[in-house]
Amino acid sequence: MQQISADHLQGRLDGPGEEQQAPDELDELPTKAFRPALRGDQRFDRSAAHRDILVFEDVHKAYRADVPVLKGLTTSVARGEFLFVTGPSGAGKSTLLRMIYAAENADSGRILFLGRDVCRLTGSSIPYLRRNIGVVFQDFKLVQNWTVSQNVAVSLEVLGVPDKIVRRRVGEALERVGLGGRGQDRAAALSGGEQQRAAIARAIVPEPALILADEPTGNLDPQLAVDILGLFEDIHETGVTVLFATHDRSLLDIRPRRVVVLDEGRTTDVRAGLSSDAALAQMRAAS
Amino acid sequence: MMERVFRAIRADIRLHMLSVFSVAVAFVCLSATLLVAVNIDAVRAKWSETGRASVYLDPEVEPQTVHTVRQALLAAEGVTEVRFVSSEQAREEIMGNTKDEALASLPSEAFPASLEVTLKDGAAAERIERLASQLKSLPSVEAVETYEAWGERLDKLLRGGTQAALVLLAVVLAAVVSVVGSTMRMALARRRTEVEVLRMVGATDSYVRGPFVIEGAAQGGLGAFLAVTLIGVLFLIVRDSFSGPLGTLLGTSPQFLPVTFCIALVAFGASVGALSAFASLRRLIENPAT
Repeated sequence: MQQISADHLQGRLDGPGEEQQAPDELDELPTKAFRPALRGDQRFDRSAAHRDILVFEDVHKAYRADVPVLKGLTTSVARGEFLFVTGPSGAGKSTLLRMIYAAENADSGRILFLGRDVCRLTGSSIPYLRRNIGVVFQDFKLVQNWTVSQNVAVSLEVLGVPDKIVRRRVGEALERVGLGGRGQDRAAALSGGEQQRAAIARAIVPEPALILADEPTGNLDPQLAVDILGLFEDIHETGVTVLFATHDRSLLDIRPRRVVVLDEGRTTDVRAGLSSDAALAQMRAAS
Repeated sequence: MMERVFRAIRADIRLHMLSVFSVAVAFVCLSATLLVAVNIDAVRAKWSETGRASVYLDPEVEPQTVHTVRQALLAAEGVTEVRFVSSEQAREEIMGNTKDEALASLPSEAFPASLEVTLKDGAAAERIERLASQLKSLPSVEAVETYEAWGERLDKLLRGGTQAALVLLAVVLAAVVSVVGSTMRMALARRRTEVEVLRMVGATDSYVRGPFVIEGAAQGGLGAFLAVTLIGVLFLIVRDSFSGPLGTLLGTSPQFLPVTFCIALVAFGASVGALSAFASLRRLIENPAT
């Protein structure tokens, strides 16, 4: 996967006028206004490329007043970082991810993605945000009566990418996730692990800036879970930022990466990963 | 987008067929009523355009008297043509090519000789009535038929037909909205994952909604087209039965719906189908975040 340029990403967020632009063509376009990050008379803010891709500023969220899901979450995610989000069921992992792609709104606070507050986006802007984010779910969310290729291609079709380019890039994405030659199979004919690979191919094919994985190994056996984690790490190696939500402690133990732990609204950011003694001490202090 | 439409129709072909059939049934009722109204209107127009009167003569009347009456009529204001139809000619005109034995066995009194009077186009009703009353006073004239009463009856019938068509239009509207709306909601429920996926990968509202609206338009338009075609086939089958003696009696042949009517019906079906589909996806539009 090619490294995504900041200008490319900002251009894709710019609105309806770009709907018919293929990503390949977008690379050659002059960068367009990334409105929230405007400074002075600049059409866009070049320094945005060097800032954190995702910033949470005092984010609060509660479905019921007495049961807060997030209480003042403040953290940031650097470009190209791999971050685990963990916590018990109901701790708010999915809510956190859903807020990033604007399927949920925060009660207060700001969530800045590429400098833009996603909580303040209008309904018509949300699709353009989502074109920069690949999402992978626990239940795969594949259209079962479509072929694997059709399921993957949909991410490019909404961008108006020409068919020829769609076919080429879908083929490449399927190769990358180990499903080369399975494009014409119906999604329903795939095993659970294969379906998750197809879902990952769909998430990566438009070369998004950020991948959100919401319990992607939840429906898979332990060995497949490790394989899928490895696949996300391969994707991360190409420079994509990955937020991987899981409650599977074994996955966190085998990979010493930064972890954000959510529990009863509290957030603990463990930068060294949960396998270190220092991390455990930090967790105890936080609780 | 069209590929998504065809893919969706292929996947749910039975559901779409059922919807098209239901819409077609509703449109058959409307088309049939319109067809009847169009033909009544044609008869009414024919009779009102050309002022006509039939002067039925005494069976014993002398040819000389007939000639005198005919000359007098031709001299009257507004009369353009007077044609003598003998009893035998009247029988022949009514019988036409049919070999109806019951009709053939009728006595000659059933087909009285007459003078068929044609008046100027748009001749005033009062003038026709005045002429009729003058003719009735002649000893050799048995009766005068001006067809005014028939015209009034046809007008009433046409008004009734128009009202029935309007009621049926409302029924068809409700049927199409209900059928297409329900079909779209069912299709949406079946394709919930597809919609979720589209939203997740950044599809705009119009991109998500487009295929559903096209499917709705196709169902409405196809249903209407099917109904018009069916009515057309039925019309061809029964046309000959109406174009013989009945056609002669009425003075006009049966007519099918004008092409503009047919196109308007199909366009109406497609438009209502599209709007119904659009409206049935309202909730989806109102909740774009999910």
